[in-house]
Amino acid sequence: MHDALLPLSVFFASIFTSNILLTNYLGTCSFLSVSKEMKTSLGLGVAVIFVMATTTPLNWLVYEYLLLPFGLEYLRFIVFIIVIAAFVQLTEMAIERYSEPLYQSLGIFLPLITVNCAILGVSLFMVIREYSFFTSFVFGLGSGIGWFVAIIAMAGIRVKLKNAKVVPALEGPGITLIIAGFMAMAFMGFSGMIAVS
Amino acid sequence: MAKNKVRKTFLEPLGKNNPVFVQILGICSTLAVTNKLQNTMVMTLGVLFTTALSSWTISLMRNHIPSRIRMMVETMVIATFVIIVDIVLKAFYPEMWKQLGPYVGLIITNCIVMGRVEAFALQNKPMLSLVDGLASGLGYAYVLLAIAFVRELLGTGSLWGYRILGSWWTNWSIMIMPPGGFFVLAILIWIIRETIMKEASHA
Amino acid sequence: MSVQKTFYKDRIYPLLFMFLITFFCILLTAGIHLATQDRANANELSFTRKAVLDAAGITYVNTTAGIEEAYLKRVEEADGYFTTSGSDGKRFIIPLEGPGLWGTISIMVGFEEDLQTFTGVAIVSQNETPGLGARIEEPWFTDQFRGKRPPFTLVEEGTATASNEVDAITGATRTSEYFRNLANQAADAAKRIVRGE
Repeated sequence: MHDALLPLSVFFASIFTSNILLTNYLGTCSFLSVSKEMKTSLGLGVAVIFVMATTTPLNWLVYEYLLLPFGLEYLRFIVFIIVIAAFVQLTEMAIERYSEPLYQSLGIFLPLITVNCAILGVSLFMVIREYSFFTSFVFGLGSGIGWFVAIIAMAGIRVKLKNAKVVPALEGPGITLIIAGFMAMAFMGFSGMIAVS
Repeated sequence: MAKNKVRKTFLEPLGKNNPVFVQILGICSTLAVTNKLQNTMVMTLGVLFTTALSSWTISLMRNHIPSRIRMMVETMVIATFVIIVDIVLKAFYPEMWKQLGPYVGLIITNCIVMGRVEAFALQNKPMLSLVDGLASGLGYAYVLLAIAFVRELLGTGSLWGYRILGSWWTNWSIMIMPPGGFFVLAILIWIIRETIMKEASHA
Repeated sequence: MSVQKTFYKDRIYPLLFMFLITFFCILLTAGIHLATQDRANANELSFTRKAVLDAAGITYVNTTAGIEEAYLKRVEEADGYFTTSGSDGKRFIIPLEGPGLWGTISIMVGFEEDLQTFTGVAIVSQNETPGLGARIEEPWFTDQFRGKRPPFTLVEEGTATASNEVDAITGATRTSEYFRNLANQAADAAKRIVRGE
C-alpha cells in the first residue's frame, strides 16, 4: 500500500514540505543572483526542471547498472557530475542547432546549471534514499518544480521590492535571504497538507 | 616582496574579499548543517581541504590544461578531493558521515571551490594558490561557524552537544529549522556590512 | 603539416589530457577507498551492533572495541532477532522497518520478556529531513520509549506525562507520526518473529 503511494508523496513533498531550496538549501547561489528579474528566473527555472527531471533517472540507471555491479559506489560523485555535465552540454548543442528561439529563452541558462548544486544534490539524495527508477524521476521532477516555484515567487517579490526602501546594508543578498527565510517558514506550513496513512 | 604578496593573498579572503559576505558564494552545501556546530566544523574543514588542494593542483597544471575542457578538468580534480574527504569520514567518523549525508558530496558544486580555482589558481603560482585556497576556506569557515554558533545556541541551548543554557531557556525552535539558517545569515551579512565594510570603505 | 598539428592540439591533446587526469583521479580515489574499506565495513557492523545494544538497554564503551566486547558477551543471535540475558531477565531485540517521510526508517526495538514493554529503541537508518525529522536519532527522543508499552500517542514536544505518551519533534510532525506508527507495530512484529504467532 505504501509503496504504490511513495512516488505521489515524494512528488508533493519535494515541492512543498521539503522544498529543495527552502528546506534543503540547495541551489541558493543562482537563486540569489538570478531572482532579480522575472524573465531570467522563468528561463532558469524551466531549465532546472528539465535538467533535474532527466538527469536524476539517468543517474539512477548509471548507478544501478554501472556503479553498483562493480562495487564502485564511492565514485558516484565524479560519475554523476560527468553525466550531468555531458547531458547539459549535449542538450545545449541540440537546442542551439534545432531551435534558435528556444535556445535564446532556455539554452543560455544551461551552462549555469551544471554547477547548480541542486542538480547534483537531487541525484545524491536519490541514492541515499534508495528510490526506484520511477520514484527518482518523480523526485527529480518534483524538486525541479519546487525550485521553480521558489525562484518565481522570489522574483515576483523582488520586483515589488524595487519600490520599497531597504536598509542599505541589507540590499541585494541580505534582504533576499530574509525573504527566503519567510518563504521557508510559509512552506513549512504545508506539512499538514498530505495525509498518507 | 614575495612575503607581502603571500600576506595579502592570505588576508583578503578573510575580510575584504570574503567569499560568503562579499560574493555570497557557496552557502548551499553548508547552510543545511549549520544547525549543529560540530557538523559545521567538519563540513568547513572539508571545504578548506578541498579548496586549498584543488587550487594547488590546478595551479600546478595551469599551463597545460586545454581551454576547451578546462571546467571538466577542474570539476574532476575537485570531485576527487571531495571523494577523499567522504571516504575518510566514512572510515574514521562514521556517525558524522551519516549525519552529513549528501552534503559532503555537494562540496563539489560549492561555488567557492570552483570560484577560487577559476579566479585565482589559473593565473597564479601553486604555493600562492594554496594560500589563497586556505584563506578562502578559512574565511568561509568562520562565517559558517558563527552562524552555527547562533543557531545551535538559540535553538537547542547547547553548543557542540553540551548543554550551556539552563532550563530557563526556551528553545527558539525556528533556529534549527530551515528558515533560521536564512535569517541568521542575512542578519550576519547586515552586521558585517554595517560595521566592517563601512570601516573598510572609509579607510 | 600545420593542419595535422592543429588537429592534434585541438582534438587529440585534450582527449589525452582528460583521459590521463581521469585515470589519475580514479587511481587516487580507488587507492584510498581500498585502504580504508575494511575499516568502513567494520564501522558498518559496529553500527548495527550498537543499535542492538542500545535497544536492549545495555551499557558499553562507545568505541568499536567496546561495542564488540559488549555485543559478543551479552548478545545471542537467533533467527531474525537477538536476545540478551542478564540480571534483568531475558530481552528480545527485533529489527523493524517501515515508511518514513522520505524513505524507509529502520530500527531495532528491544522488549522485555512479555514482548510488550519496550527496553529501548535505536535507529539503524533513516533518511528524514536533516535537523527536523532526522532528530529521531537524538537520544532524548529514543530514550523516552524505554519502559513504556504501545500503543503510543504523540503529544507536543515537552508535554508527555502519561505512560503511553511520547513527545513528537517540533517541526517534524509527519516523521514523528511515521515513527509512532512503526513503534506501535513493533509488539505485534515481535510476537510474529519470536513466537511465530
